[in-house]
Amino acid sequence: VDPKRGCKVDVVFSTERYNQEEGEQRLGKCSAHVFFKNQKPRPAVNVTCTRLIEKKKREEEDQLLYKRMKQLKVPLDAASIPDSRGHIDASLRPIWDLAFLGASYVMWEKTSQSLHYYLVQLSSVKQWKTNDDAIDFDYTVLLHEFPTQEIIPCRIHLVWYPGKPLKVKYNCQGLQTSEEASGTVEGSAVAPTELSNI
Amino acid sequence: MQGLLVFTVLLGVAFGNEDFVGHQVLRISAADEAQVQKVKELEDLEHLKLDFWRGPTNPGSPIDVRVPFSSVQAVKVFLESLGIRYKIMIEDVQSLLDEEKEQMLSSKPRTWVRSTDAFNYATYHTLEEIHDFVDLLVSENPQLVSKIQIGNTYEGRPIYVLKFSTGGNNRPAIWIDTGIHSREWVTQASGVWFAKKITEDYGQDPAFTAILDSMDIFLEIVTNPDGFAFTHSKNRLWRKTRSLTAGSSCVGVDPNRNWDAGFGKAGASSNPCSDTYHGKFANSEVEVKSIVDFVQSHGNIKAFISIHSYSQLLLYPYGYKSEDAPDKEELDQLAKSAVTALASLYGTKYQYGSIIKTIYEASGSTVDWTYSQGIKYSYTFELRDTGRYGFLLPASQIIPTAKETWLALLTIMEHTLNHPY
Repeated sequence: VDPKRGCKVDVVFSTERYNQEEGEQRLGKCSAHVFFKNQKPRPAVNVTCTRLIEKKKREEEDQLLYKRMKQLKVPLDAASIPDSRGHIDASLRPIWDLAFLGASYVMWEKTSQSLHYYLVQLSSVKQWKTNDDAIDFDYTVLLHEFPTQEIIPCRIHLVWYPGKPLKVKYNCQGLQTSEEASGTVEGSAVAPTELSNI
Repeated sequence: MQGLLVFTVLLGVAFGNEDFVGHQVLRISAADEAQVQKVKELEDLEHLKLDFWRGPTNPGSPIDVRVPFSSVQAVKVFLESLGIRYKIMIEDVQSLLDEEKEQMLSSKPRTWVRSTDAFNYATYHTLEEIHDFVDLLVSENPQLVSKIQIGNTYEGRPIYVLKFSTGGNNRPAIWIDTGIHSREWVTQASGVWFAKKITEDYGQDPAFTAILDSMDIFLEIVTNPDGFAFTHSKNRLWRKTRSLTAGSSCVGVDPNRNWDAGFGKAGASSNPCSDTYHGKFANSEVEVKSIVDFVQSHGNIKAFISIHSYSQLLLYPYGYKSEDAPDKEELDQLAKSAVTALASLYGTKYQYGSIIKTIYEASGSTVDWTYSQGIKYSYTFELRDTGRYGFLLPASQIIPTAKETWLALLTIMEHTLNHPY
């Protein structure tokens, strides 16, 4: 691949269940081709995995998680998860998990050949609604950007209903100016990078 | 400065709830004797009600004055018409006082501990608690440990370095610093643990005793005190110093881009609002200059280790250029042994290599400068983790991190001892 026009990275990794329990086996091996075109973010990703959790089981787990979330009372001043000392209260874990999921879409969209990200913190929750069937989650996260070392706040609005594609709208603040990156992502229910098994 | 502010508040209270809304504190730079005189004349104008915190003395010494709201315009016009330079140090004294008050009311009471054995190493501490720890450690080990002040920060805090020595006169030494980037909390916490470890192992562990019998160790635990205080009071993710930059509303310089090695080249930012802002010139930051002065006047430092987090890396020069350092082979081999030792404890995997090849291009970084000064064993660590918690590393990981890192440090120190140069 012509380095001026793009950069191809091949990645091999193994997956495990998120929040894996002790003694659970790792899942399958995956290989991915990642292609950055013309220094632009949002690389094309082509992933194949040898073994994931079967679809039916995934759907069951989603439903369970969904039920649990509907019952959650989220204190709207649930700011700073984890806190300064890296601590996440067990009761707030599901919120963190969902926040992380939404943030992972944003990070994928922003990642380029020269910039990559880690999620630092869920810094505030604007809204957590579950009155109609979907979970409607409006929050802000802080992303740590390499190599600039900047901390980027991103406002994310996520709507989830198990079985339906995840909808993510976001808006990230640039450095001191109004450079913003925003977008809408629709999670596909087909690609393995989907939202079950969280 | 903080003490003065509190004093002023108390005075204000004593004189019947004085309020400081709109009051500004100006720092005046008188260029010559004539300008100093003019400012002295200002002092005499009682109706302006000026309150000099640092009075006019001679050209070159800053003059700090609190100006009541009603006099602000007049004073500025006066200074400007005479071409006397000044900058606004505090935009509104009252809001600063309000913030401080809130902070004092809401912050946890200082945890007072009677001995370093009772100190909790598995939790994150405040600046005051670390200072108390340091004083305790010195008093418990007066033969081995002493505290040196190498300077004062931008905001006036003392900068302390611990010296561990079993005697001799200016022995070859090892320097370790933690917390140069204030948000990297596991590093200052590890520094505290290292300090205690040194006092425990000397005389007990033969290999370590051999090191300290021939060499001195200097340990700067809080290398960026202003930044560290800020991570506790206002912004947990603050990285830089807290210096004010003339002409910008943004604060702070990246102390790991401010050294005189490839200063200002690619790998740092010239934007004061950036987290990798290199500053107006090399060593502009007193926190950096203090170390530079110390290293140069000591003249016998043989290993220099600067500790950061996160990414799990052990790095050696260069950051600002891609050519190999002359000692690359040896530095690489030593790094390999060090990370192997580190992994032996809990299996924590580190990568190693030159800064530019392993992490990213960075100019004006600490170890590029120390290496240029002839300190061959110049290393930068990036401790746990690799991004899962990043800066917000759970406190439960402090001691494991410190323990494994210590093994790597021992490897480097031993090699330095056995390869004098």
